[in-house]
Amino acid sequence: MTQNASIVEDLRLRFPGTSFDPQSTRDDVPTVWVPSGKVRDVLRYLKNEVLRPYKMLFDLTAVDERCRADRPAQATGDFSVVYHLLSLDRNSDIRVKTSLDGDAPSLATITNLWPCADWYEREVWDMFGIGFEGHSNLRRILMPPTWEGHPLRKDHPARATEMGPFQLPDEKQAVEEEALRFRPEEWGMKRESENSDFMFLNLGPQHPGTHGVLRVVLQLDGERIVDAVADIGYHHRGAEKMGERQTWHTYIPYTDRIDYLGGVLNNMPYVLAIEKLAGIAVPDRAQVIRVMMCELFRIASHLVWFGTFAQDIGQMSPVFFAFNDRERILEIVQAFCGARMHPSWFRIGGVAQDLPNGWDRLVRGFLDYMPSRLAEYDKMVMQNAIVKARTVGIGDYTADEAIEWGVTGPGLRACGVEWDFRKKRPYSGYERFQFDIPTAQHGDCYDRSVVRVEEMRQSLRIVEQCLKNMPSGPYKSDHPLAMPPVKDRTMHDIETLITHFLGVTWGPVIPAGEAAVIAEASKGANAYYLISDGGTNSYRTRIRAPSFPHLQMLPKISRGFMTADILAILACIDFVLADVDR
Amino acid sequence: MTPEAWYILLYSAGVLSVAVGMVVVSFVLGQRHRERATDEPYESGIATTGSARLRFSARFYLVAMLFVIFDLEAVFIFSWAVALRELGWAGYAAALVFIGVLVAALVYEWRMGALDWGVAKRKNRSDAPSEETRK
Amino acid sequence: MREIVFHLLVVVCVLGGTLSMAGALIWLERRLLALWQDRYGPNRVGPFGLFQPVADAIKIFTKEDWIPPFADRAVFVAAPAVIVVTVLMSFAVVPFAPGVWVADLNVGLLFLFGMSSLGAYSLILAGWASNNKYSLIGGLRAAAQTISYEVFMGLSLMGVVMLAGSFSLRAIVEAQQGVWFCVTQFPALVVFLIAGLAETHRLPFDMPEAESELVAGFHSEYSGMKFGMFFVGEYLAITLLSALATVLFFGGWLGPVLPPLVWFVLKTGALICGIILLRASLPRLRFDQLMSLGWKILLPVALLNIVVTGAIALLGK
Repeated sequence: MTQNASIVEDLRLRFPGTSFDPQSTRDDVPTVWVPSGKVRDVLRYLKNEVLRPYKMLFDLTAVDERCRADRPAQATGDFSVVYHLLSLDRNSDIRVKTSLDGDAPSLATITNLWPCADWYEREVWDMFGIGFEGHSNLRRILMPPTWEGHPLRKDHPARATEMGPFQLPDEKQAVEEEALRFRPEEWGMKRESENSDFMFLNLGPQHPGTHGVLRVVLQLDGERIVDAVADIGYHHRGAEKMGERQTWHTYIPYTDRIDYLGGVLNNMPYVLAIEKLAGIAVPDRAQVIRVMMCELFRIASHLVWFGTFAQDIGQMSPVFFAFNDRERILEIVQAFCGARMHPSWFRIGGVAQDLPNGWDRLVRGFLDYMPSRLAEYDKMVMQNAIVKARTVGIGDYTADEAIEWGVTGPGLRACGVEWDFRKKRPYSGYERFQFDIPTAQHGDCYDRSVVRVEEMRQSLRIVEQCLKNMPSGPYKSDHPLAMPPVKDRTMHDIETLITHFLGVTWGPVIPAGEAAVIAEASKGANAYYLISDGGTNSYRTRIRAPSFPHLQMLPKISRGFMTADILAILACIDFVLADVDR
Repeated sequence: MTPEAWYILLYSAGVLSVAVGMVVVSFVLGQRHRERATDEPYESGIATTGSARLRFSARFYLVAMLFVIFDLEAVFIFSWAVALRELGWAGYAAALVFIGVLVAALVYEWRMGALDWGVAKRKNRSDAPSEETRK
Repeated sequence: MREIVFHLLVVVCVLGGTLSMAGALIWLERRLLALWQDRYGPNRVGPFGLFQPVADAIKIFTKEDWIPPFADRAVFVAAPAVIVVTVLMSFAVVPFAPGVWVADLNVGLLFLFGMSSLGAYSLILAGWASNNKYSLIGGLRAAAQTISYEVFMGLSLMGVVMLAGSFSLRAIVEAQQGVWFCVTQFPALVVFLIAGLAETHRLPFDMPEAESELVAGFHSEYSGMKFGMFFVGEYLAITLLSALATVLFFGGWLGPVLPPLVWFVLKTGALICGIILLRASLPRLRFDQLMSLGWKILLPVALLNIVVTGAIALLGK
């Protein structure tokens, strides 16, 4: 708390005459409201001038405040824009908010401060219709270019039944397709140089190498990549909008499908954020079950990466081996949860069920099996001379660039930054586990791979510790807001019966407030920023997905390389399109 | 004509009829359909920008030139190789000189960077868009 | 008269045999890859899935024979035929066993080089005629790759020619009565196999199609039987490469006890399996790395091999 006060004091000293109105939030992240005209100066100060600066723009989003009953006193306008900065030096965050008025509000861009603000500002424009003055290319990013309206505004329809029936006659399809045609001029690109024509090649959205519906438009001079434009949004499903319709509890299965390879890794920050809002303490056993499941899914996710990475540089077999091993994890998950890829296993206050009898045998079997497989993959892939030739020195960036672009997870650790939210800000009892943070030095494709492979070993270590030290006790909190509510006493007294009935039918009523929780997912920092208006569903669900900023870096790390390299670079970013587009 | 030539001719006729047969049979048996996007070029399922008929930078013809140089010279080596024993050491010496010239050319091209198709090292490479390619 | 009938029979058998070999290889490769990758492979059509190639053939013959309206039609159709014709023609000079050959040309090796050079046109023309960007890049890669490796392949075999004193493949096999050339010409063997793989554009040198980058490279716009012909051409080329390696370096039909033809088939088969194993295990090089490998390593090695072999051959005269 002293730290919170001190940074606000710093700001007041630096900007006399400007009001810095602190807001208290459930997650204790210092939150200050700044007049919209001052935002850029304040952010510049926080990034460049303050002692132990906030170098990373962790998130940039907005809130439509117009329907909020329990809004903070400072939110006087129709919209709020939220900047979430992160300081690695301080291991602390700051949230800067500003209030905007009117139907077409606008604000100064910060793309000149952080290059990664580019996509975030486009997203806010797309979703809320908030303009950013000085942004070089403010256009839709997740929605189709022909879309009308801004989906995350409260007056935009949220379900299909609120709109007319969807139809796609040929003429409309032709218009839509034409709207997607790439025009180099719009991106400030030339069609030809002095003595040759550039080729504009669409890599995706229907392409075997892009791991889903990603479209990268390459500007090629022969085989050399002159420039690249990543076009995303083909996998957008309105996950944040759905968060405003679903109850707190029924939204959990949606989170699984954000990073669809991560399974319960997605549940983690979401339920943690709700538990923070509701003040629920999670019992030990539930915490360890959560950790164990998360680490199993981390291995599963990295295995998919491993196989497809090898596949992308032309190695045919590892993908089959890796998927076979992943199958063993999914079998364990199936035995525990009944589901495989999307178990939606975490609940508010715990997990859905206790571990089944004989769970330890399954986990033990996997722990005995996996290390020798990893050793084999090391020989087959990581030590392979061709793999090294294809990845060493390819798509490299420095630690400073990584922080500047909002890179987290293995991508950040590959440039020598020992940063892991499980260690730095332990959640769900990670502080009780022994594991190392693997790092590498060069920040190229090979080092990113090395880090991921080593992470699988560390995850095995954690799972082993879970197996040996699984606490006994309840698997779910008996807090009245825990979901589904504990049923034991429902037949004995009317109070618990009613609580149970309301909890199951309407869902829990989470106290009004704001909280963000960052968890270390397999791809990087996954954060859920939830705003409760004191109802049975969320007022605003912001999903800060790691793949989004990582993919944004693509043009920067692929310029000057060859067409074949872009596949290695894409593979080593390890994104999931559903995680990018949400 | 020798019998060998007849067999080759016969074989060639067989080979040609196989190739033509494959094309013709599939033309006769194949299905037909036509829909909206049937006649569009495939480019990841999205509207294309510019055609595949481009002016390429001259350095892409370098390989062709290298080929012409080395393949022509290889032909001389072929004829020497088959007559190696007849030509004896004198021929060997001549061939050595010839190969020496070839190697000198190779070294020269190597030093000139004509054999480097790859990407520049980090320090020589810019990841900012270059001015020449932008409006 | 009997000789003529025998030879006609050989001509028919070579043509039929190589074509059915292409079919058999489709099955073999898929089964072997499956074996090495912990899966089943085709096992539904007939015993062990043996009739899979037949089913594939029926399917592919009844697929639409589509010629893109934006393509260069004549070239587009001709390109796949070129590869089938040139590879099949190459088999004309392969000596399978004493007397079992279509023709024993005294310029057999040169004939092979000629056919292989012509074969390179197939990919280049297909890539160009398709008028598709993926195809174009694939075609350009194919052009650079095949014409470069053409040179190295030719030069690598000159040592063999010096030792055998002839371009005739029969003479080369007979020159290996004592010791096979894979021992005396080991560097040449390595260069030849690498160049051969690059010529047949198989993994780790399959940049012209590079499915994770270029979707299907030079044959992106091909479908139906015309795609099938590239496929057949590739399998024929693998067979040819193995057969040639057998003839040039592994003593062709030579071997104890078993009949010569059996030896030839065994050696060729083993090499084919080796090539499939390579595909199962190695990743793909980048185009520029392949070019550097060729010009900076294989070419000097081949030249050095010629110089040394020439001297040894003359000394031993």
